[in-house]
Amino acid sequence: MANKQTASKPPSPAGSFWQRNRRELTFLILFVVILGGSFTLISVNWVNDHVVEPFTAGIAWLSGGALHLLGQNVTMTGTVIRNPRFAVNIRNGCNGIEAMFIFIAAVLAFPASWKSRLAGLGLGILAIQVVNLVRVVALFLTGVYFPKIFDTSHTVIWQTIVILCGVLLWIFWANRFAAPPASEPAT
Amino acid sequence: MATAKSLRRSWGLQLVLNALLWVIPVALLWLVATPLYNRFLLGSAENLVRLTESPNVTNLLRKDDHFAYVQRRDFPPAKSLVHSFRVTDVHFHLLMLGVLFLAVPKVPWRRRLENLGWAVLITVFFDILLIFFYVKFAYATQLGAWSLEHYGAFGRNFWGLGKHLLDLPFKFSLPFLLWAGFYFNDLMAEIRPRE
Repeated sequence: MANKQTASKPPSPAGSFWQRNRRELTFLILFVVILGGSFTLISVNWVNDHVVEPFTAGIAWLSGGALHLLGQNVTMTGTVIRNPRFAVNIRNGCNGIEAMFIFIAAVLAFPASWKSRLAGLGLGILAIQVVNLVRVVALFLTGVYFPKIFDTSHTVIWQTIVILCGVLLWIFWANRFAAPPASEPAT
Repeated sequence: MATAKSLRRSWGLQLVLNALLWVIPVALLWLVATPLYNRFLLGSAENLVRLTESPNVTNLLRKDDHFAYVQRRDFPPAKSLVHSFRVTDVHFHLLMLGVLFLAVPKVPWRRRLENLGWAVLITVFFDILLIFFYVKFAYATQLGAWSLEHYGAFGRNFWGLGKHLLDLPFKFSLPFLLWAGFYFNDLMAEIRPRE
């Protein structure tokens, strides 16, 4: 091997760095491109108005339904949930889209079979949205009963929980379910 | 083979369990360090903003332990506080970063702490850059006629989109990106083909 290397032209430092770290660099670049692309896409007004807003309104509707079940007398208007004591407007950052996109970008960028990816995407997105639903309901109840800690709970505690859930789900998926069968190479 | 399979299971699960155990200690440390870190971030970001303006007119003023004002000294005193933001929101991803880096199983403590140190350093630079974008975004898009007069369409879109991308996807995903950068090979080494 050493003889072969001295006989042929040695790779440039950049080339050898790329070769040594090809797998993780490919993953990181794909992840950043998919994530940046998806967030650029939803920053377009048309996409926001026709996709993100209806999706967010759906989350508000589901959260309102869950709050009804918990005995809260709430009304929903678009993305706003209110009762006589408190109101929240579900916006970007509260609809679980960030955690979902991070998860989707990580699953798509990871070298796994499409079957594993699709299964991971389906179950992962569902799990993230369930956690996000719990977050919206919990935040509303925090606003009603513990308004002093609403800000911290909103921006720090629940954001961290939802994103961390997405990341840990991905790590678990990649480690446990993304492995290709022995006979099937990863794509 | 059964052993390899159970080892694979235990790595991912062990990481998740470790992460749950680290959440509270890391959160407490982050809470204690937040007021000091907020001051450091505001000072550093103010210096960075001033590198891009002449004369120096921007002050980043602390309102309390969590909030800050952007002040322009060339505006009338009654209108000099042009924008406010929650500094603590800039860096709560440090919490995720700490949890993820400390939770990795089967890695010696020395390497774990070294990697965490590098990751925190990169995150500090990111946080300073993010506040810089907050300020530029406010100048380019939030000051009505003044913004229109001083920033063209490209500038407004650049600072607007830049702030949007840094503040949402990249702020949220930075801990994961760094974790993947440092531990991707460890993760891959734990993956074996299914029988």
